[in-house]
Amino acid sequence: SYVEWGNTKIICNVGGPNEPKTGANRNQDRATVTVEVCFAAFSGNERKKGAKGDRRVQEMQTALQRTFAEAILTNLHPRSEILITLHILSQDGSVLATCINACTLALIDAGIPLSDYVVACTAGSHSVRSGTNFEVEGEDPLLDMNNIEESDLPGVTIATIGNSEKITLLQLETKVRLERLEGMMAVALDGCRKLKEVMDDIVRTHGNEMARRGAL
Amino acid sequence: MPKELEPSTCEKNFVLEALKENLRIDGRNFESFRELEISFGEDYGLADVQLGKTRVLARVSAEVSKPFSDRPFDGIFQITTELGPMASPAFETGRFTEQEVLLARLIEKAIRRSNAIDTESLCIVAGQKCWAVRVDVHFLHHDGGLIDASCIAAVAALQHYRRPDVSVDGEKVIIHTLTERVPVPLSILHIPICVTYSFYHGGEVSLVDATLQEEQLRDGDMTITLNKFGEVCQIAKAGGLPIGALALLQCARIALVKVQEITAFLQKRLEEDSAARTRRDNLLESTAQNAR
Repeated sequence: SYVEWGNTKIICNVGGPNEPKTGANRNQDRATVTVEVCFAAFSGNERKKGAKGDRRVQEMQTALQRTFAEAILTNLHPRSEILITLHILSQDGSVLATCINACTLALIDAGIPLSDYVVACTAGSHSVRSGTNFEVEGEDPLLDMNNIEESDLPGVTIATIGNSEKITLLQLETKVRLERLEGMMAVALDGCRKLKEVMDDIVRTHGNEMARRGAL
Repeated sequence: MPKELEPSTCEKNFVLEALKENLRIDGRNFESFRELEISFGEDYGLADVQLGKTRVLARVSAEVSKPFSDRPFDGIFQITTELGPMASPAFETGRFTEQEVLLARLIEKAIRRSNAIDTESLCIVAGQKCWAVRVDVHFLHHDGGLIDASCIAAVAALQHYRRPDVSVDGEKVIIHTLTERVPVPLSILHIPICVTYSFYHGGEVSLVDATLQEEQLRDGDMTITLNKFGEVCQIAKAGGLPIGALALLQCARIALVKVQEITAFLQKRLEEDSAARTRRDNLLESTAQNAR
């Protein structure tokens, strides 16, 4: 799948279920999910030949792998491996959220059984008035931040599964007051719900197109 | 790479059934930490934290070096957390295990990225000399709760540490020894403390501070880092069981109470240690009296 979310562009490729490449990945009762993330050197503001062993990348890989290990019905394909490869072509904020959405679409296209859509979204918080102001009007949650907003304001990435509003992934990396967190989470959950409808539309259109062409 | 010994099916069933009936194996209630014990070393900057059976040691050291070229006004601050075989036979030195990466990233985000230390105060001569502060966290015994214990150990050691005083004379920088001038504490802006939650039974049960056995059996986990002012420094819930938003917020509120308790306890321990230290140093100076 290829997802363009504003200026953030990501390609996701799913392979499998295949024979696991390493014996260690062979699990008797479920499939193992392996995620590889690769940042293109031209994706950021400056050209950076990002090392593969970078800890930030590894953390992202682990987060994605754990999220999808929950969502994919792994007990239907024991002793096999599902390989998800992501290439990030352009970063403009909300990278992890876009990765999750791209993975979901690619998994659906590959025909791998998922329990439901995994949709992700970011939200930030902007204080209209600075100082110790605890009124709700003082905070202003923003939905879907881009790079400039992300580097300045506190932001949270939330991934939900299906319509249930249950959160599979929540990542907050900047300081924010506990009261503002609630507003941000509410906005992000709302965004995820709307995004799921959009993704569902795209999947159905694509499916109809493929059926029409006789590929199914 | 040796794998951790997984709990047997009997143990697993027993622990999970007990959780359904609101019982924990060691008798705590779901929201209490294990017994926390903090002690400091003779030198400044050594903190030994015991959280139940988990034992973590943190050591702070500083040396003068050149600052990074893109940040001439900031000092250097590094935290290293390496899991070694001393903590558990399942760990190996060499940093590629998933758990190790996550632990290192979490501690780094909690302490370094949230600006617990004011790095600008570590600058001596802009662009040429600065303090490079280094925290080394050593894991002595692993019984669950590594993230929580290492965070407490690191912040305790940072608060305990005193760096040598410096005086700048034009281009020359004189570093005074610890006996020449009173050493200076690091400027700490806030004290982040991590609380790890473990989820079981589809999100119905959430525990604070899991032991190793509870950790191996959990379905999902989340780590929140807060300081006592109610600011959330980071939240990491990387996949695992899906949990409702309200439940997560409830966890965050409980975590805040816990963090305030731990911060107060840490403060008390630091004061006790500094009182003991002044008594010891004063005695060294002079008296002809016998200690009665």
